[in-house]
Amino acid sequence: MKRKFRVLAALVILVSSGQLLSAQETPAQAISNITIHNTDGSVTESATIVWRDGIIEAIGTNVTVPFDAYVTDANNEMHLYPGFIDGFTTWGSPSQPRDPEDPSSPGEAPYNLAGVQPERIPSQHLEADKNFEAAMKAGFTTAALGLEGYMVSGQVEVFTLSPDQVKEGLFTNSIGIHGSYQRARGRVYPSTQMGIMAKFRQVMYDAEALQTHIQYQSGNPEMPAPERNEVLEAMFPLLNKSQPLFFTVDDKEDIERLFLYQDEFGFDIVIVSGKEAYAKADELKERNIPVLASIDISEAPEWYAAKNDTSKKEDMEEVTEEEQLFRDRQLEAWMAEAKNIKMLLDAGVMVGYSSHGMELKDASKAIKALLDEGGLTEEDLVKLMTTNTARILGIQQSFGSLETGKNASFTVFDKPFTEEKAKAVYSVSNGTTYEF
Amino acid sequence: MKKLLTLLLLLLLVGYTQAQETGSVLIKNGTLVTITNGELENTDILIRDGKIARIGENLSAPRGVMTIDATGKFISPGIIDAHSHLNTVSTNESRNPVTSEVTMEESVNPTDISIYRAIAGGTTSIHLMHGSANVIGGQGETLKLRYGAGQEGMRMDGAPRTIKFALGENPTRVHGQGSGIHPRTRMAVEQVIREHFDAAIDYKRNREEYLTAKANFDRRGRGTPPVPVAKNLRLEVLSDIIDGEILVHCHSYRADEILMLMRVFNDYGVKNYTFQHANEAFKVAPELAKNGAHTSIFADWWAYKFEVYYSTAYNATILNENGVTNSINSDSDELIRHLNHETGKTIRYGQTSVEDALKMITINPAIQLGIEDRVGSLEEGKDGDLVIWSGHPISIYSKVEQTYIDGMKYFDLEEDQADMRISVNPNESFEDGAAFGEIISGRKADACMEGAFNLLEETTQR
Repeated sequence: MKRKFRVLAALVILVSSGQLLSAQETPAQAISNITIHNTDGSVTESATIVWRDGIIEAIGTNVTVPFDAYVTDANNEMHLYPGFIDGFTTWGSPSQPRDPEDPSSPGEAPYNLAGVQPERIPSQHLEADKNFEAAMKAGFTTAALGLEGYMVSGQVEVFTLSPDQVKEGLFTNSIGIHGSYQRARGRVYPSTQMGIMAKFRQVMYDAEALQTHIQYQSGNPEMPAPERNEVLEAMFPLLNKSQPLFFTVDDKEDIERLFLYQDEFGFDIVIVSGKEAYAKADELKERNIPVLASIDISEAPEWYAAKNDTSKKEDMEEVTEEEQLFRDRQLEAWMAEAKNIKMLLDAGVMVGYSSHGMELKDASKAIKALLDEGGLTEEDLVKLMTTNTARILGIQQSFGSLETGKNASFTVFDKPFTEEKAKAVYSVSNGTTYEF
Repeated sequence: MKKLLTLLLLLLLVGYTQAQETGSVLIKNGTLVTITNGELENTDILIRDGKIARIGENLSAPRGVMTIDATGKFISPGIIDAHSHLNTVSTNESRNPVTSEVTMEESVNPTDISIYRAIAGGTTSIHLMHGSANVIGGQGETLKLRYGAGQEGMRMDGAPRTIKFALGENPTRVHGQGSGIHPRTRMAVEQVIREHFDAAIDYKRNREEYLTAKANFDRRGRGTPPVPVAKNLRLEVLSDIIDGEILVHCHSYRADEILMLMRVFNDYGVKNYTFQHANEAFKVAPELAKNGAHTSIFADWWAYKFEVYYSTAYNATILNENGVTNSINSDSDELIRHLNHETGKTIRYGQTSVEDALKMITINPAIQLGIEDRVGSLEEGKDGDLVIWSGHPISIYSKVEQTYIDGMKYFDLEEDQADMRISVNPNESFEDGAAFGEIISGRKADACMEGAFNLLEETTQR
């Protein structure tokens, strides 16, 4: 510890005396004459952005490009967006075994078989995944990654994206623990939602006892030593309320059940997906629970899509009164789903974005539905996927907007990104340029 | 017009979503089937703010309270079903022989259309139970069928805690045969209960000693701190059973195992329990009465597995004549819609009196759930849960015309819409989703094994 400090002190002295120039040796990069779409919805035409060593040095219309900069002129034909942030996804995660071994007694399944795996860390497990490149082509440069799993699936870490080198992109270690009401495969307890809820509580109680034991024993070595347990110890941040629980949940009733966890243990919660979260918007606001919303809304009812499709107007079929009533309610239910994010925002809930593993080829359809029926604007979407998500993840110091001093993560599109056939031309992630 | 109807329907439902909402209504000139005070003809009943305020003649409605003329109609308290899995999310946490830590409170689906169908049959309260896969299953939840009130709003506040036990074939099949673990026989079922009760007693003592020592150490800050004893949800609930804080409802069929459980409970001092199904209870009726044990049975449903062949339609009458508090339950989403017919069979077979037969679906199940001071009869001060029938509730020709819970109308035959769903899935096509009028035909035997086997390799379901 002491030695580290000395090294650090030496570095500080070197830097301040101007003798360490290595930082200056990396040349700057710049893009000029580009249309910048800011997170507040404003657009800066003919702008310039300069970055070096992964950090934005200057941005705006009145920018002096450093002499050593490698400059790309976009000829005012390109659109630059702040890098989108995926608030939670499981890309690159190894899959859980399809046929796990059955424990000799289902009720005494070890933690991993029961789906309690808070000790797992994405950066230790990540595998190559073509979704990373697809995400970058869609404008994403940063993501909070979790692991596929069950009731407690593992920790959540933030990565800057690159098409292949995943582990190296680690930006922050664990920012929370992820869970859901999904039961583990195989013949194990818990196998139901009520079982999962009881098991979660018991894991917390056991973690509490272990933590107390560790604390007591450290000051009283004459005590019997506690039996260390990496699973229970990984729950300490939740127990001590120092990290939030990221929880994948959609149904209104399931969100209400999730509140029971919070009422009992008092930790912060971040909802992932939350398709019916609008139904609990006021309480989410009250509890200060943000939602990393899914945009994976279901397809519009067939008859409704057909009616809006001007290309095929022919068969305007007759429907019975009964079917008409059915359709009215069906449409209303679908509209509520499409307006989920809008309703949450209107209620003052903090909303970010999570793909939660959604295939990005489906994203353009969903984005169109959100703009057409969901009451959102392009600005809303950009803000959701940048500033808001950065704030929810606690990385707003470095990500989420284009400002001097922030991480150089942005994407250059040939058109505004919500337009049909808009394509990412290249992406800068953590200062590194990737061309497509 | 259609739009308007939909809108009205929605407004109606929105009105319901406010939990614990109560209503006021005056129902005049009906015949009150009070259950505890005979039948009162041409009598008025006034519900104010959810409670029965007055029963008498020539009552007048307070300002703003609606009056209903019930001339020629019969009014009974809402029917109570002491054994139901009507609207569970899941019924069985079948992966351990003892799962007292799980609770149906967290497994309530408040949007199930079957709730509406049950209210349409005059049922206003149910005992939502865990299944019978485990020797000691999960805790139950007493619900009022406030359709539209959400999971929190459906809970009957203040109702005592309950828990499900199960003896015989189901737990031995699931755990013994299915998982190859304890218990494989009826003998072992008894031992599972005893072992867990003993563990709960040990746990309670150890935990309390630890908490006392911890409090002392934390206060004084010296000496050797105690080794922590973690809170254990499963054992804590079992300990509460021994302490008499939880009513046990035990799935059982055979007389020998009924006697066995009474012996076990006497050893541990557990009182106030109900045997569910109990097809052979008539064989041990005097013993049940002596122990103060209750029974909750089917009118005539048996032979769906080996241990339920020795059965009789006189079971209810024999138990009743021996002074056992007995109820008739449904354990079925179909039977729950006409429990009046089911209890009527006790009159047909064993000549049980009409009065006693009706008790078996009202005040008796209320006693078994510990809610008899609130519901189960028409008495001043009780909850405004009642049913208006077109004729006497025991008649096969009578229909439920209106159902009230806490003075709020939840069913009206005249306003019965085709589509009473609360939750609409936008991806469901009309062809798949429009079967609102679907008739649940036949009895689904062994509903309380729901989900217990679908994950096992077993091919036989029941």
